Amino acid sequence: MNAYNRNTLIVGIAVALLIGGIVSYFASGDPDGFEKTQEALGADQPVHVSVEPPPSLFEGYSLKGLGEGFWSNAVAGAVGSLLVLGVLLVVARILKRRPSRQDPKKV
Amino acid sequence: MHIASGFLSPPAWVTMAAVSGAALAGSLAAARRQLDDRKVPLMGVMGAFVFAAQMVNFPILSGFLTGLPIGTSGHLGGGFLLGVLLGPALGIVAMASVLVIQALVFQDGGVEALGANIFVMGVLPGLLGGAVRRLWLKPSWLSYTVTFTGAAAGVLAGATLVILLLKWSATLPQNVSLLHALGLMDSIHLLIGLVEGAITVAVVRFVREARREAVFGAALPASPVEIKV
Repeated sequence: MNAYNRNTLIVGIAVALLIGGIVSYFASGDPDGFEKTQEALGADQPVHVSVEPPPSLFEGYSLKGLGEGFWSNAVAGAVGSLLVLGVLLVVARILKRRPSRQDPKKV
Repeated sequence: MHIASGFLSPPAWVTMAAVSGAALAGSLAAARRQLDDRKVPLMGVMGAFVFAAQMVNFPILSGFLTGLPIGTSGHLGGGFLLGVLLGPALGIVAMASVLVIQALVFQDGGVEALGANIFVMGVLPGLLGGAVRRLWLKPSWLSYTVTFTGAAAGVLAGATLVILLLKWSATLPQNVSLLHALGLMDSIHLLIGLVEGAITVAVVRFVREARREAVFGAALPASPVEIKV
Protein backbone atom coordinates (compact mmCIF):
# COMPACT_ATOMS: atom_id res chain seq x y z
CA MET A 1 0.00 0.00 0.00
CA ASN A 2 1.36 3.42 -0.88
CA ALA A 3 1.78 6.30 1.57
CA TYR A 4 -1.20 8.20 0.18
CA ASN A 5 -3.66 5.39 0.88
CA ARG A 6 -2.04 4.53 4.18
CA ASN A 7 -2.48 8.12 5.35
CA THR A 8 -6.11 8.16 4.17
CA LEU A 9 -6.72 5.12 6.35
CA ILE A 10 -4.77 6.31 9.39
CA VAL A 11 -6.31 9.78 9.53
CA GLY A 12 -9.78 8.48 8.66
CA ILE A 13 -9.69 5.77 11.32
CA ALA A 14 -8.35 8.23 13.93
CA VAL A 15 -11.16 10.70 13.22
CA ALA A 16 -13.85 8.00 13.23
CA LEU A 17 -12.57 6.54 16.53
CA LEU A 18 -12.40 10.01 18.08
CA ILE A 19 -15.96 10.85 17.08
CA GLY A 20 -17.57 7.42 17.50
CA GLY A 21 -15.58 6.39 20.57
CA ILE A 22 -15.22 9.62 22.52
CA VAL A 23 -17.29 12.57 21.23
CA SER A 24 -20.41 10.39 20.98
CA TYR A 25 -20.32 9.90 24.77
CA PHE A 26 -21.28 13.55 25.12
CA ALA A 27 -24.15 13.28 22.64
CA SER A 28 -27.64 14.42 23.57
CA GLY A 29 -29.72 11.64 25.10
CA ASP A 30 -32.95 13.18 23.88
CA PRO A 31 -34.99 11.28 21.29
CA ASP A 32 -34.18 12.25 17.71
CA GLY A 33 -36.54 14.23 15.52
CA PHE A 34 -38.36 11.21 14.16
CA GLU A 35 -38.77 9.50 17.54
CA LYS A 36 -40.03 12.77 19.00
CA THR A 37 -42.52 13.18 16.15
CA GLN A 38 -43.77 9.65 16.68
CA GLU A 39 -44.24 10.32 20.40
CA ALA A 40 -46.08 13.59 19.76
CA LEU A 41 -48.38 11.95 17.21
CA GLY A 42 -49.00 8.83 19.29
CA ALA A 43 -47.43 6.74 16.56
CA ASP A 44 -44.65 5.26 18.67
CA GLN A 45 -46.01 1.74 19.16
CA PRO A 46 -45.10 -0.93 16.61
CA VAL A 47 -48.29 -2.30 15.08
CA HIS A 48 -46.99 -4.60 12.37
CA VAL A 49 -45.28 -7.95 12.45
CA SER A 50 -41.55 -7.35 12.65
CA VAL A 51 -38.45 -9.29 11.72
CA GLU A 52 -36.30 -9.82 14.79
CA PRO A 53 -32.66 -8.83 14.44
CA PRO A 54 -30.08 -11.45 15.45
CA PRO A 55 -28.97 -11.34 19.10
CA SER A 56 -26.14 -8.86 19.47
CA LEU A 57 -23.52 -7.81 21.98
CA PHE A 58 -23.93 -4.18 21.03
CA GLU A 59 -27.63 -3.50 21.20
CA GLY A 60 -28.30 0.23 21.57
CA TYR A 61 -24.67 1.28 21.05
CA SER A 62 -23.38 -0.15 24.31
CA LEU A 63 -21.47 -3.30 25.07
CA LYS A 64 -23.61 -5.88 26.79
CA GLY A 65 -22.56 -6.34 30.40
CA LEU A 66 -20.68 -3.06 30.55
CA GLY A 67 -23.71 -0.87 31.29
CA GLU A 68 -24.14 2.54 29.71
CA GLY A 69 -20.92 4.25 30.72
CA PHE A 70 -18.06 5.80 28.80
CA TRP A 71 -16.21 2.58 27.99
CA SER A 72 -19.31 0.75 26.89
CA ASN A 73 -20.09 3.54 24.44
CA ALA A 74 -16.46 3.79 23.36
CA VAL A 75 -16.20 0.07 22.57
CA ALA A 76 -19.49 0.15 20.63
CA GLY A 77 -18.43 3.22 18.66
CA ALA A 78 -15.01 1.81 17.86
CA VAL A 79 -16.33 -1.63 16.89
CA GLY A 80 -19.07 -0.15 14.71
CA SER A 81 -16.74 2.24 12.88
CA LEU A 82 -14.12 -0.43 12.24
CA LEU A 83 -16.81 -2.90 11.19
CA VAL A 84 -18.14 -0.47 8.56
CA LEU A 85 -14.60 0.13 7.32
CA GLY A 86 -13.88 -3.59 7.20
CA VAL A 87 -17.10 -4.47 5.39
CA LEU A 88 -16.48 -1.75 2.79
CA LEU A 89 -12.90 -2.87 2.17
CA VAL A 90 -14.09 -6.45 1.70
CA VAL A 91 -16.92 -5.34 -0.62
CA ALA A 92 -14.42 -3.30 -2.65
CA ARG A 93 -12.04 -6.23 -2.88
CA ILE A 94 -14.78 -8.56 -4.09
CA LEU A 95 -16.03 -6.03 -6.63
CA LYS A 96 -12.56 -5.46 -8.02
CA ARG A 97 -11.61 -9.11 -8.13
CA ARG A 98 -14.35 -10.17 -10.49
CA PRO A 99 -13.65 -8.36 -13.75
CA SER A 100 -16.43 -6.21 -15.10
CA ARG A 101 -18.01 -7.39 -18.33
CA GLN A 102 -17.69 -3.89 -19.70
CA ASP A 103 -13.97 -3.86 -19.12
CA PRO A 104 -12.29 -5.47 -22.12
CA LYS A 105 -8.80 -5.26 -20.62
CA LYS A 106 -9.41 -7.97 -18.08
CA VAL A 107 -10.76 -11.27 -19.24
CA MET B 1 -34.48 9.01 11.19
CA HIS B 2 -34.25 5.20 11.30
CA ILE B 3 -37.62 3.51 11.02
CA ALA B 4 -37.76 0.87 13.73
CA SER B 5 -39.20 -2.62 13.54
CA GLY B 6 -42.96 -2.98 13.32
CA PHE B 7 -43.85 0.41 11.86
CA LEU B 8 -44.14 -0.50 8.19
CA SER B 9 -46.81 -2.73 6.69
CA PRO B 10 -45.62 -5.59 4.46
CA PRO B 11 -46.64 -3.82 1.20
CA ALA B 12 -44.71 -0.72 2.25
CA TRP B 13 -41.51 -2.43 3.32
CA VAL B 14 -41.52 -4.93 0.46
CA THR B 15 -41.88 -2.07 -2.02
CA MET B 16 -39.06 -0.09 -0.42
CA ALA B 17 -36.87 -3.19 -0.22
CA ALA B 18 -37.39 -3.76 -3.95
CA VAL B 19 -36.62 -0.14 -4.84
CA SER B 20 -33.51 0.02 -2.64
CA GLY B 21 -32.42 -3.45 -3.76
CA ALA B 22 -32.52 -2.32 -7.39
CA ALA B 23 -30.68 0.91 -6.56
CA LEU B 24 -28.05 -1.01 -4.63
CA ALA B 25 -27.57 -3.53 -7.43
CA GLY B 26 -27.08 -0.69 -9.91
CA SER B 27 -24.70 1.05 -7.53
CA LEU B 28 -22.61 -2.09 -7.04
CA ALA B 29 -22.33 -2.54 -10.80
CA ALA B 30 -21.23 1.07 -11.24
CA ALA B 31 -18.93 0.82 -8.23
CA ARG B 32 -16.98 -1.93 -9.93
CA ARG B 33 -16.01 0.52 -12.68
CA GLN B 34 -15.45 3.49 -10.37
CA LEU B 35 -13.38 1.93 -7.60
CA ASP B 36 -9.78 2.86 -8.19
CA ASP B 37 -6.83 2.37 -5.91
CA ARG B 38 -7.35 5.63 -4.00
CA LYS B 39 -11.16 5.45 -3.80
CA VAL B 40 -11.22 2.19 -1.82
CA PRO B 41 -9.69 3.52 1.41
CA LEU B 42 -11.58 6.80 1.05
CA MET B 43 -14.90 4.96 0.77
CA GLY B 44 -13.98 2.83 3.79
CA VAL B 45 -13.08 5.68 6.09
CA MET B 46 -15.96 7.89 4.94
CA GLY B 47 -18.36 5.07 5.78
CA ALA B 48 -16.73 4.70 9.20
CA PHE B 49 -16.96 8.46 9.70
CA VAL B 50 -20.68 8.53 8.90
CA PHE B 51 -21.31 5.64 11.31
CA ALA B 52 -19.41 7.48 14.06
CA ALA B 53 -21.04 10.84 13.31
CA GLN B 54 -24.50 9.28 13.47
CA MET B 55 -23.81 8.41 17.11
CA VAL B 56 -23.44 12.09 17.97
CA ASN B 57 -26.91 13.43 18.66
CA PHE B 58 -26.95 17.19 18.95
CA PRO B 59 -29.74 19.04 20.76
CA ILE B 60 -31.79 21.15 18.36
CA LEU B 61 -33.46 24.49 18.95
CA SER B 62 -37.02 23.84 19.78
CA GLY B 63 -39.86 24.73 22.06
CA PHE B 64 -39.70 28.41 22.78
CA LEU B 65 -39.02 29.44 19.20
CA THR B 66 -41.21 27.18 17.21
CA GLY B 67 -43.74 25.46 19.40
CA LEU B 68 -42.05 22.16 18.62
CA PRO B 69 -41.71 19.52 21.32
CA ILE B 70 -38.85 20.37 23.67
CA GLY B 71 -36.10 17.85 24.23
CA THR B 72 -35.44 16.82 20.68
CA SER B 73 -32.11 15.89 19.15
CA GLY B 74 -30.82 15.19 15.68
CA HIS B 75 -27.80 13.62 14.11
CA LEU B 76 -26.03 13.69 10.79
CA GLY B 77 -27.54 11.54 8.06
CA GLY B 78 -24.48 11.62 5.85
CA GLY B 79 -25.97 10.29 2.61
CA PHE B 80 -25.59 13.60 0.80
CA LEU B 81 -22.03 13.97 2.07
CA LEU B 82 -21.11 10.53 0.73
CA GLY B 83 -22.85 11.31 -2.58
CA VAL B 84 -20.70 14.42 -3.08
CA LEU B 85 -17.38 12.91 -2.03
CA LEU B 86 -17.73 9.42 -3.51
CA GLY B 87 -20.35 9.89 -6.22
CA PRO B 88 -23.86 8.41 -5.95
CA ALA B 89 -22.91 4.78 -6.61
CA LEU B 90 -20.11 4.44 -4.06
CA GLY B 91 -22.01 6.73 -1.70
CA ILE B 92 -25.07 4.49 -1.78
CA VAL B 93 -22.92 1.37 -1.25
CA ALA B 94 -21.21 2.97 1.76
CA MET B 95 -24.45 4.23 3.26
CA ALA B 96 -26.16 0.86 2.81
CA SER B 97 -23.26 -0.80 4.66
CA VAL B 98 -23.63 1.64 7.55
CA LEU B 99 -27.38 1.02 7.78
CA VAL B 100 -27.10 -2.77 7.54
CA ILE B 101 -24.53 -2.86 10.35
CA GLN B 102 -26.66 -0.49 12.45
CA ALA B 103 -29.70 -2.71 12.01
CA LEU B 104 -27.99 -6.10 12.50
CA VAL B 105 -25.32 -5.31 15.08
CA PHE B 106 -26.71 -2.31 16.97
CA GLN B 107 -30.42 -3.01 16.52
CA ASP B 108 -30.92 0.56 15.32
CA GLY B 109 -33.58 0.56 12.61
CA GLY B 110 -35.79 -2.42 11.86
CA VAL B 111 -34.51 -5.33 9.80
CA GLU B 112 -37.60 -5.36 7.57
CA ALA B 113 -37.39 -1.54 7.36
CA LEU B 114 -33.87 -1.68 5.93
CA GLY B 115 -35.03 -1.04 2.38
CA ALA B 116 -36.96 2.04 3.46
CA ASN B 117 -34.08 3.29 5.61
CA ILE B 118 -31.55 2.71 2.84
CA PHE B 119 -33.75 4.68 0.45
CA VAL B 120 -34.44 7.56 2.84
CA MET B 121 -30.88 7.98 4.17
CA GLY B 122 -28.84 6.51 1.32
CA VAL B 123 -30.37 6.44 -2.14
CA LEU B 124 -32.31 9.71 -2.01
CA PRO B 125 -29.64 11.97 -0.48
CA GLY B 126 -26.89 10.04 -2.28
CA LEU B 127 -28.38 10.87 -5.68
CA LEU B 128 -28.89 14.50 -4.66
CA GLY B 129 -25.32 14.75 -3.42
CA GLY B 130 -24.01 13.09 -6.56
CA ALA B 131 -25.85 15.71 -8.62
CA VAL B 132 -23.86 18.57 -7.07
CA ARG B 133 -20.53 16.73 -7.08
CA ARG B 134 -19.22 18.48 -10.19
CA LEU B 135 -19.51 21.86 -8.47
CA TRP B 136 -16.64 20.79 -6.20
CA LEU B 137 -14.16 20.44 -9.05
CA LYS B 138 -13.70 24.18 -8.54
CA PRO B 139 -15.13 25.09 -5.14
CA SER B 140 -16.86 28.44 -4.93
CA TRP B 141 -19.62 30.10 -2.98
CA LEU B 142 -22.01 28.47 -5.41
CA SER B 143 -20.74 25.01 -4.36
CA TYR B 144 -21.14 25.89 -0.69
CA THR B 145 -24.62 27.34 -1.10
CA VAL B 146 -25.97 24.57 -3.30
CA THR B 147 -24.45 21.86 -1.09
CA PHE B 148 -25.82 23.40 2.10
CA THR B 149 -29.30 23.79 0.60
CA GLY B 150 -29.22 20.40 -1.09
CA ALA B 151 -28.21 18.50 2.04
CA ALA B 152 -30.96 20.23 4.03
CA ALA B 153 -33.48 19.53 1.26
CA GLY B 154 -32.42 15.89 1.29
CA VAL B 155 -33.21 15.62 4.99
CA LEU B 156 -36.60 17.26 4.45
CA ALA B 157 -37.44 15.01 1.52
CA GLY B 158 -36.47 11.95 3.57
CA ALA B 159 -38.53 13.11 6.55
CA THR B 160 -41.54 13.65 4.30
CA LEU B 161 -41.18 10.21 2.77
CA VAL B 162 -40.95 8.59 6.20
CA ILE B 163 -44.28 10.12 7.23
CA LEU B 164 -45.86 9.07 3.92
CA LEU B 165 -44.64 5.51 4.51
CA LEU B 166 -46.15 5.52 8.01
CA LYS B 167 -49.41 6.82 6.52
CA TRP B 168 -49.36 4.08 3.87
CA SER B 169 -48.72 1.53 6.61
CA ALA B 170 -51.65 2.88 8.67
CA THR B 171 -49.22 3.40 11.55
CA LEU B 172 -50.36 7.00 12.10
CA PRO B 173 -53.36 7.15 14.44
CA GLN B 174 -56.70 7.76 12.71
CA ASN B 175 -57.24 11.13 14.38
CA VAL B 176 -53.91 12.55 13.18
CA SER B 177 -54.16 14.38 9.88
CA LEU B 178 -51.42 13.79 7.34
CA LEU B 179 -50.83 17.52 7.11
CA HIS B 180 -50.29 17.83 10.85
CA ALA B 181 -47.88 14.91 10.87
CA LEU B 182 -45.92 16.31 7.94
CA GLY B 183 -45.86 19.78 9.51
CA LEU B 184 -44.40 18.49 12.76
CA MET B 185 -41.91 16.09 11.17
CA ASP B 186 -40.73 18.62 8.60
CA SER B 187 -40.35 21.57 10.95
CA ILE B 188 -38.16 19.52 13.28
CA HIS B 189 -36.20 18.20 10.32
CA LEU B 190 -35.78 21.66 8.85
CA LEU B 191 -33.69 22.49 11.92
CA ILE B 192 -31.83 19.18 11.72
CA GLY B 193 -31.36 19.80 7.99
CA LEU B 194 -29.63 23.13 8.61
CA VAL B 195 -27.07 21.35 10.79
CA GLU B 196 -26.74 18.59 8.18
CA GLY B 197 -26.07 21.27 5.55
CA ALA B 198 -23.43 23.01 7.64
CA ILE B 199 -21.60 19.78 8.58
CA THR B 200 -21.79 18.57 4.98
CA VAL B 201 -20.20 21.73 3.56
CA ALA B 202 -17.46 21.71 6.21
CA VAL B 203 -16.57 18.03 5.76
CA VAL B 204 -16.72 18.14 1.96
CA ARG B 205 -14.45 21.19 1.95
CA PHE B 206 -11.96 19.53 4.24
CA VAL B 207 -11.84 16.13 2.50
CA ARG B 208 -11.83 17.73 -0.95
CA GLU B 209 -8.75 19.75 0.05
CA ALA B 210 -6.99 16.92 1.88
CA ARG B 211 -7.80 14.10 -0.57
CA ARG B 212 -8.47 15.76 -3.92
CA GLU B 213 -6.99 12.92 -5.98
CA ALA B 214 -9.01 10.28 -4.15
CA VAL B 215 -12.21 12.33 -4.40
CA PHE B 216 -11.96 13.25 -8.06
CA GLY B 217 -9.37 10.88 -9.51
CA ALA B 218 -10.35 10.34 -13.12
CA ALA B 219 -12.43 13.51 -13.30
CA LEU B 220 -9.37 15.70 -12.81
CA PRO B 221 -7.77 17.34 -15.81
CA ALA B 222 -4.87 15.32 -17.20
CA SER B 223 -2.23 17.72 -16.00
CA PRO B 224 -2.44 18.87 -12.39
CA VAL B 225 -0.55 22.01 -13.37
CA GLU B 226 -2.77 24.76 -14.69
CA ILE B 227 -1.29 26.45 -17.71
CA LYS B 228 -1.78 30.17 -17.44
CA VAL B 229 -1.58 32.25 -20.58
